[in-house]
Amino acid sequence: MILAMLAACKPAIDEFAPSKGDADFSRYIAVGDFWTAGFADGSLYKSGQENSFPSILGRQFTYVQGGEFKQPLMVDDYGVGLSTGIPMPKLVLDFRPDCKGVVGLMPGFANVAVDPANFASVAAGGPYNNIGMPGLKSIYMGVPGFAAVNPYYARFTSAPLNKVVDEIPPVNATFFTLWLGMFDVLYYAMQGGTGDVITPVAQFTGAMTAVLDVLTASGAKGAIANIPDVTDAAYFRTIPYNALALPDQATADMLNYAYTPLNQIIKGAGSTDTLSFQPGPNPLVIIDEDLPWGIRQIKSDELVLLSLPQDSLKCAGWGSQKPIASVYILKRSEIDAIREAIDGYNSALAQMVENKDIALVDMYSVMKTMSVDGLAFEGVKIDPRFVQGNFYSLDGLNPTPRGSAVVAYYFIDAINRKFNANIPQVTVSDFQGVMLP
Amino acid sequence: MKKCLFFFLALNLCAFAAFSGGYQVRLQGQKQTGAGLIGTPFAPDASSIFYNPGGLALVEGKFSLSAGVSGIMSHSVFQKEGTNYQANTDNPLSTPFYLYFSGKIKDMIALGIGVYTPFGSSVQWDEDWAGRYLIRDISLSAICIQPTVAYQYKEKFGIGAGFVYAIGNVELNKALPYSEESSVSLKGDASNFGFNAGIFYRPVEKLNIGVSYRSKIMMELEEGEATFNVPSALSTSVPENNKFSADLPLPANLDFGLSYQLTEKFLLAAEVSWVMWSAYETLDFEFEESGELLNSQNPRLYKDSWITRLGGEYKLNDVFTFRAGIYYDPSPANDKYFTPETVSLNNIAYTLGVSITPLKGLDIDISYLEIHGLEAEKTYEPDNFSGTYKNAAFIPGIGLHYRF
Repeated sequence: MILAMLAACKPAIDEFAPSKGDADFSRYIAVGDFWTAGFADGSLYKSGQENSFPSILGRQFTYVQGGEFKQPLMVDDYGVGLSTGIPMPKLVLDFRPDCKGVVGLMPGFANVAVDPANFASVAAGGPYNNIGMPGLKSIYMGVPGFAAVNPYYARFTSAPLNKVVDEIPPVNATFFTLWLGMFDVLYYAMQGGTGDVITPVAQFTGAMTAVLDVLTASGAKGAIANIPDVTDAAYFRTIPYNALALPDQATADMLNYAYTPLNQIIKGAGSTDTLSFQPGPNPLVIIDEDLPWGIRQIKSDELVLLSLPQDSLKCAGWGSQKPIASVYILKRSEIDAIREAIDGYNSALAQMVENKDIALVDMYSVMKTMSVDGLAFEGVKIDPRFVQGNFYSLDGLNPTPRGSAVVAYYFIDAINRKFNANIPQVTVSDFQGVMLP
Repeated sequence: MKKCLFFFLALNLCAFAAFSGGYQVRLQGQKQTGAGLIGTPFAPDASSIFYNPGGLALVEGKFSLSAGVSGIMSHSVFQKEGTNYQANTDNPLSTPFYLYFSGKIKDMIALGIGVYTPFGSSVQWDEDWAGRYLIRDISLSAICIQPTVAYQYKEKFGIGAGFVYAIGNVELNKALPYSEESSVSLKGDASNFGFNAGIFYRPVEKLNIGVSYRSKIMMELEEGEATFNVPSALSTSVPENNKFSADLPLPANLDFGLSYQLTEKFLLAAEVSWVMWSAYETLDFEFEESGELLNSQNPRLYKDSWITRLGGEYKLNDVFTFRAGIYYDPSPANDKYFTPETVSLNNIAYTLGVSITPLKGLDIDISYLEIHGLEAEKTYEPDNFSGTYKNAAFIPGIGLHYRF
């Protein structure tokens, strides 16, 4: 009985007092690309969508009179990815043998067939609050009939000839998040600077202004995130430039011998950019179309893409006897072009929100900080490293649920400050990182 | 809180104990506990072995035998910064105890031995609480054995010193961020030596002055058992069973106290303690295997603290002596390196006590101590874990003393 009395004497702290401040979260709309849609592990799948950053925000908004946040959910947890051109399920981490028979932990497509029901139209369940879709660039927002080229959009478009912006008015939103522009540089970057062009800053600015006009037409307030330096993503930072490991002097000598004729041509042209090899790590041999002789070794400030088949590197002489194709490499000039565009986009976005009821979420700085120092939440470290860092999912470009929670955290932080609101923060460490077997 | 206090008053259940900043527990005598945990200017019984060995030779009677136990019921509450998340501890009852025996081999020289538990902590958060990657539960305890010798001169002056052998053990569990089930459990023992010395001085009939010093004891834990539960993907880099080492200091204390017999029945006392917590700079774990991956340096950067105590004793008659006290014990923890493993806040404490002497030479000592850790916002920067903490402890204690 004494113990029971004492148990009743527990100390208490005042409860948190949520408040919507100067904003109205009753009808929230999210507009954006892969990250907004909840794309992860190379696929759009249900639990990924349920842990998209807008979905996390929608849940937190319910504490400040937020309404239902409706998403065009896929039917299962494998979903559909289109990176290979044919529909594939999500990537999973598993023990797999490489070309040398060495078993290691590697991502690969889940061993299930894609359920075609994932692409059945869910338009009847709309209008949806999450107007996020993989493959969306700012300049695609005003393209009529965009659903014809984007099967993810085709699932939920309310009319086949719609522009994506046409999906905004039916939601009658009181609050929005807009995070668009990443794919305007990323599609170029993830193909090694080949096969696409970076959206010029002027076009980006025009497209985003038009989207904002629609979003704010009936007085909605909102938050815009700026564009992070996409080249910091795990996709560009996992395979080191000097991934060519030579076991001994003899192997190095063999390569040096093989490249002697080329080196003579290079020297003859007055260049010092010859190829040379030592035992240990060496810069990979790559194709550079800008050079008359077309081949050089990669520089330490250039990037190798995660799409490079590792088995070709290990067993097929890629990067040594066979120079690596441009589609797997971001050269210095390409990296500079990407960063210049991002700087231009971010200046434009900063101007766009000036003197408006729009919070600017500085994701550029957040992601830079994460790249340099890493982040920590509740004792859990988060950084951009592939698999270990837990920010990026197995595609190396899109966040895990924990990564999305980090994004949601900074959105809430910016929204609270801009609108004097008190939306309860997310507990980032409650969200799953990369799933290990 | 007052409600709780009065409940105990009504039951006349009074006892003495102490639970101080950090992981120090000063519950080594129920008489001292009842009077605000003041110990240096008293020589009531063999418990002076702990509080002030200088007083031991002035203890009444030829032999003194003293034993007691306290029950610490502590609760902490945590409000995570910026969220609507709150958590409460479900700490198990911890029971510091003491046992002392002293005897005079001559009128002027006393020998004694004490076994007591001056350090300990038992904190248990929920399995899935928001700070699980910092700590789920931890229990620390140390048992000290202290042979002591003391000398007194003319019932006015006493000096004493003891050799302290401390045996400690620690067990802690926390979650690891690899999967929902990932966790680590660490368990180990340590022991080391220190000393305890004091001076007791009675310049005039009614005034007592005491000074005591207990040295720092560095608990060096070697060959501790680490058990990891991680996904199979990590089983080669993180072995399931591993050994670890870690050091934890038990800080030095310097106490200075005064007592004055105001009237025949009423005594007033005050004491300050300087607790040298700055010795607790970091908690580092080193592992025998996969050290480069698992080793961790965890800054604590404690600072020295000064505890101020006031207490009094009222001798109603030959049977009943009542005590009460109050003290303020500021947190030694660093605001930026404050972890939920030791919720050490600025503490205000109230004490009550009674000794019942049913026959000459026998005391039944009862104490009650209530500690309130004042609400404060704290953060553990390396892990980005911030929030508001508050806590309280309710500590009844009982002891027996027999002199012959």
